[in-house]
Amino acid sequence: MIRRFMKSREVRKLLRNRLALVSLAISGLYLTVGLAVLLFGLITLDDTEVRVGMDSTPGFGREVKPEERFETCDWYLTRFERLLKRKDVDSAIAEWDTVAYRKLAIDADQLEERVDEAIEIYEELEEEEDLDERPELESRLAELETIMASFFVTPSGFDKLLYDARLCLGTDRQGRSILVRGLYSIKVAVQIGLIVSLIAVTLGSLLGCAAAFFGGWVDHLVIFLYSTLSSIPNLVLLTMLAFAFTGSSVEETLIPVYVAFCATFWIGPCRVIRGETLKLKELEYVQAATAVGFGRLRIMVKHIIPTTAHLMFVNFSLLFVGAIKGEVILSFLGLGVKKGPSWGIMISASRPEVLNGFFWQIGTATVLMFGLVLSFNILTDALQDAFDPKHAG
Amino acid sequence: MPLLQVTDLVKHFPVRGGVLNRVIANVHAVNGVSFSVARGETLGIVGESGCGKSTLGKAILRLHDATSGKIAYDGTDITSLKHRDMIPFRRRLQIIFQDPYSSLNPRMTVKAMLREAIRFHEIVPNTELDTYIKSMLAKVGLPDDAMNKFPHEFSGGQRQRLGIARALALKPEFIVADEPVSALDVSIQAQVLNLLMDLKDEFGLTLIFISHDLKVIEHFCDRVLVMYLGHIVEEIRCEDLLDEARHPYTQALLGANPINDPADRRPLAVLEGDVPSPFDPPSGCPFVSRCSIAVEKCQTMPPLEQHSDSHRLACWER
Repeated sequence: MIRRFMKSREVRKLLRNRLALVSLAISGLYLTVGLAVLLFGLITLDDTEVRVGMDSTPGFGREVKPEERFETCDWYLTRFERLLKRKDVDSAIAEWDTVAYRKLAIDADQLEERVDEAIEIYEELEEEEDLDERPELESRLAELETIMASFFVTPSGFDKLLYDARLCLGTDRQGRSILVRGLYSIKVAVQIGLIVSLIAVTLGSLLGCAAAFFGGWVDHLVIFLYSTLSSIPNLVLLTMLAFAFTGSSVEETLIPVYVAFCATFWIGPCRVIRGETLKLKELEYVQAATAVGFGRLRIMVKHIIPTTAHLMFVNFSLLFVGAIKGEVILSFLGLGVKKGPSWGIMISASRPEVLNGFFWQIGTATVLMFGLVLSFNILTDALQDAFDPKHAG
Repeated sequence: MPLLQVTDLVKHFPVRGGVLNRVIANVHAVNGVSFSVARGETLGIVGESGCGKSTLGKAILRLHDATSGKIAYDGTDITSLKHRDMIPFRRRLQIIFQDPYSSLNPRMTVKAMLREAIRFHEIVPNTELDTYIKSMLAKVGLPDDAMNKFPHEFSGGQRQRLGIARALALKPEFIVADEPVSALDVSIQAQVLNLLMDLKDEFGLTLIFISHDLKVIEHFCDRVLVMYLGHIVEEIRCEDLLDEARHPYTQALLGANPINDPADRRPLAVLEGDVPSPFDPPSGCPFVSRCSIAVEKCQTMPPLEQHSDSHRLACWER
């Protein structure tokens, strides 16, 4: 079965299209990450919420100016001073989790001693103005940074790799890793995309097929349903449905999003499949099946639905992308994902950052989304070309 | 008793339109047709496109439900049998379609297609399915390895053979062949026609052979019904066709056949004009608008009168 599928004309045609192969690889990568997070907990919800550094640090590959380096030391020093004011400093050091994955390597006495040492340099530098323009102060700043680094356990090997990776795209305004949040959002997107498009295509195809095949009141009902639903602007309906769940027990889950999307997304496949079925049911092979004596249900399930498979396939991938884009918009408006990150939430949260010229968060979210949507769109196009019987050859 | 007796069969297709989607007109596809077919006989139905011959064929098999009239098969009135009661008759009555491209499910292999129908009617035990399918394919001249192929892997003629195999696999008694060769190349037409002839004898079939080609019918059938605009205008034995056909339409059809003898020259009776619209058929003789011998009386409908044992004719003038 699988071997026959892999050797079929459609698949061979798809594999000849180089652009399709690239987009297939990229989409596959996204799906793998998404499913790894979804099924194996590669990144947990907690990972996306913890502080991994100070606020709004830029990612790697950008030159850090002395002024910013000084601010980093300032940020850590403030927290160490606060730590020293605690009653039981030793246990406070052991439990220190202001920055996750970064443990303190010293005891209370050492801490006090080195903080004093650091403050000395700090005050000296604080009096100077415009650190960026004063290369002669570079050595003092480096000295301060060495002291600061000595507070922490230096990560090594795999831990170091993970530590660097978490910071490689910078942090948001709560010091959370942008990379981790961006990757976790793939899971949200893939989950919503898969569930919504599966349900919507199944529902739409069955309704469309039944409407066309049985005709009469079934057809009237389905047409009434979808023309009514499609006369309401899509986003307004989604907003309304998302609001309707406010305060209910499922508000925090993704269920409102699923319901909102499934309520409108089935219309597309329904219309297409209904039209196709109207055409197919008059074909002679369907009449031949009637002449054999098969019942109408059997004819619909065995002879009509399989012939519309390529349309379902294409609709599935269209809706997948549609659901992901819709989820981002809803989350941006604060109506979609309520718990945990999503690209929409990241973009929404980055508004004040963008004003300050900090583009790491919005950039990560949009680039990740762009990559998924673009590669999937190209793939869909290629699938349509390959599976449409009219494009033979 | 004839195997099939059709009495006053009428099939109208409603045309819906307007704001309220009401029936605004009817296409009068078949307009009160009566005839019978004896067991073992081959009846031809001839007429030009749109005269209702295919609709008639499909109505006999209940692929279209008749508007009125009666179809009796082997003594049983099957006109309004329910689906469940119809199933045994479905096996006994089969159809071969015109278009070999749309008459086979493109997503099913030959084996799956045949197996589904054979198992549905329990023609042979499951253990003998493969052998039976192979024997059926052999009967229509296809190799064993055709079993696992899809319809698009076959040529038009081969596909038509598959259509025939599908019909024959149910061991039917009665087959409606709805223009089975008109979509094929002339060279393939002869092959398929000869195949049908052989199979008819081998299986003892009763056949209704629908065609627009009088030459094919003459060659193939015992008796022919000439249809025009949903009416039978003449019914005649094929052997009498050349000498005794009297309806001007039948003569026009005969005249349209090329004669393979340059010495034999007869005047050509070429028909003028078009078939009247089946939405609004003329009230009198359906052929009146194109008839060369029409008179005043033709504004009323001529009855289909029995002229001899095997000859019925609906014309006032002949």
